[in-house]
Amino acid sequence: MRRTNGMKRLGHMLWTLALAGTVLLTGCGSAEQKQPAAGTDSAQTAQKRIVKHELGETEITGDPKRVVALEYSFVDGLWELGVTPVGIAQEKDKDVEGLIGKKIEYTPVGTRQQPSLEVISSLQPDLIIGDLNRHKDIYKDLQKIAPTIILKSRNSTYQENLSSFATIGEALNKQQEAEQRLIKHKEIIAEFKKKIPAGDSRNVMLGVFRADSLSAHGSKSFDGELLEMIGIKNAIQDAPEPTVKISLEQMVQWDPDVIFLAEADDALLNEWKQNPLWNNITAVKNQEVHKVNRDLWTRYRGLKSAERIVEEAVNLLYSKDK
Amino acid sequence: MTSRKNTLLLSGLVVLILVAALLSMGIGPIFIGPDQIIRVIMGESSSLTFMIENYRLPRALLAILAGAGFAISGVILQGMIRNPLASPDVVGVTKGAGLFAVVVIILFPTASPLLLPIVAFLGALAVAIALIYFTRKSGAQPTTFALVGMGVGASCQALTEFIMVKYPMQANDSLVWLAGSLWGKGWDEIYALLPWLLVFIPISLALHRKLDIISLDEGSSTGLGLNVVRTRYMLLLLAVALAGACVAAIGSIGFVGLIAPHMARKLFGHQHRYLLPGAAVLGALILVIADALGRGLNPPIEIPAGIVTAVIGVPYFLYLVRQEKKK
Repeated sequence: MRRTNGMKRLGHMLWTLALAGTVLLTGCGSAEQKQPAAGTDSAQTAQKRIVKHELGETEITGDPKRVVALEYSFVDGLWELGVTPVGIAQEKDKDVEGLIGKKIEYTPVGTRQQPSLEVISSLQPDLIIGDLNRHKDIYKDLQKIAPTIILKSRNSTYQENLSSFATIGEALNKQQEAEQRLIKHKEIIAEFKKKIPAGDSRNVMLGVFRADSLSAHGSKSFDGELLEMIGIKNAIQDAPEPTVKISLEQMVQWDPDVIFLAEADDALLNEWKQNPLWNNITAVKNQEVHKVNRDLWTRYRGLKSAERIVEEAVNLLYSKDK
Repeated sequence: MTSRKNTLLLSGLVVLILVAALLSMGIGPIFIGPDQIIRVIMGESSSLTFMIENYRLPRALLAILAGAGFAISGVILQGMIRNPLASPDVVGVTKGAGLFAVVVIILFPTASPLLLPIVAFLGALAVAIALIYFTRKSGAQPTTFALVGMGVGASCQALTEFIMVKYPMQANDSLVWLAGSLWGKGWDEIYALLPWLLVFIPISLALHRKLDIISLDEGSSTGLGLNVVRTRYMLLLLAVALAGACVAAIGSIGFVGLIAPHMARKLFGHQHRYLLPGAAVLGALILVIADALGRGLNPPIEIPAGIVTAVIGVPYFLYLVRQEKKK
């Protein structure tokens, strides 16, 4: 990036020259014209700032416009703050559309697990946002391309994702917008919380069916924690990990009142349905087995996604009471 | 006569590998012509300089180094165990490295990235120590080596899989490492690997006569005045040092250490004087091609080079087994 650095330096010089010119001109002119000079002054202090993140501190200059996001929750955050990422790490082409609700122009930069450094560098970004869990090993490589911040998303809690959003706001030089959006987010969540009757003691199991196993999201998972916060109890309270693989027997033992199925693979579900044990589960007896959007519940995370998850959960649990 | 033929063949392969490396550097999400690559390497500045200097060139160099390292390690193991199926994977060396690496990746996810190669190397070393310990009583018999190696390897693999099943969410992270990939690798890994190879490859080449002798049966080896047990352990440590350093740098890439020695044997015969450098060049060639394919088949998605070598390696290996059967 030697060349772009040079160009940046040139841009800097021109900018300083222009500034000096304006100051000189305003100095020669009348007193009332001093205002724009003061304005540019504050703009200049905002130009360079240090953003603290999971792997240290990164100096970011100006308002990043060409941002590469290596996790969906970061795309969510950027989009909510009015920035369309130039590059996104993705597994499926539909993922981004499903995340933000419309088609946007961007360059896919490979999978989230192994984003292509070559493609990222070819986009000449001015900010890269990576995930602590997936991208700490390539942090040094990303830094060589552009200022990089590493935040928590994968295997992280709901609260940690919220603080990642705040950091994205800082990096974009949009602290205020981010703060306002967070306040709005809390209001939205609080609204949904009101819709949940106090006496409801049903517990919910969040399960993703894979071809060979069911992974259940416990109370420490992103979606589990989120639902707990608004008063929807998770069936798995004492799991050591956010996600646990469980068998049908364990499912019966936990005996959830409601099951949210993020169904990925039919094979296992069909097999379980044949088993008499399945019909012993309270949720099955009460016909409280609901399908939910897997990508939304388990892969996207982020602010807007959290709001959508809560909305879907509340609708599924209480829509017929209305 | 054969020596001249072999020298010619070897120089031909060296030229081939330079051409392959040059072409492979052009392959990826962004295609670059060989003329442009040469100009950038010669120092001309262009918009592609960053990409070539930071990704393409170091990856090609690293593929050459690690490919050679794995191949030489394979030749040594096949020679000392007198079994054409031996390789760093089969005797458990890469599996030990894999186990140790997975423990770090999954159980200590916040550990510094610098720790991983060191731990992987220790894993390879641990397997070597286990091999020496368990084969001592039998006087380091080749068959004992092969069997103990497979046993230790299987145990490591079982433990690796246990950890991965126990922590399904983090298991994905270790898959790339276990498959072996040059993604995200660069000059740092080259500088870490180079000293090992600069020490151990020349030593291996210097020991070619010992390898020739030890490949013969036990009686002949002893008759020719060789301390068989000591030589075997020395060769084992040499092979482990090479494979361990390579695994530490780019993960446990399989099949290169198995296939390259076989190909070399076909081209150069059984004299280790030619077999060792021949396998090194072929191993380097395989890995350079595998890395380029992994990068270029479905961009921007990277297919780990270890998966490409397995896809190329398995059919070739089956072909070999068939040929052996016919004999």
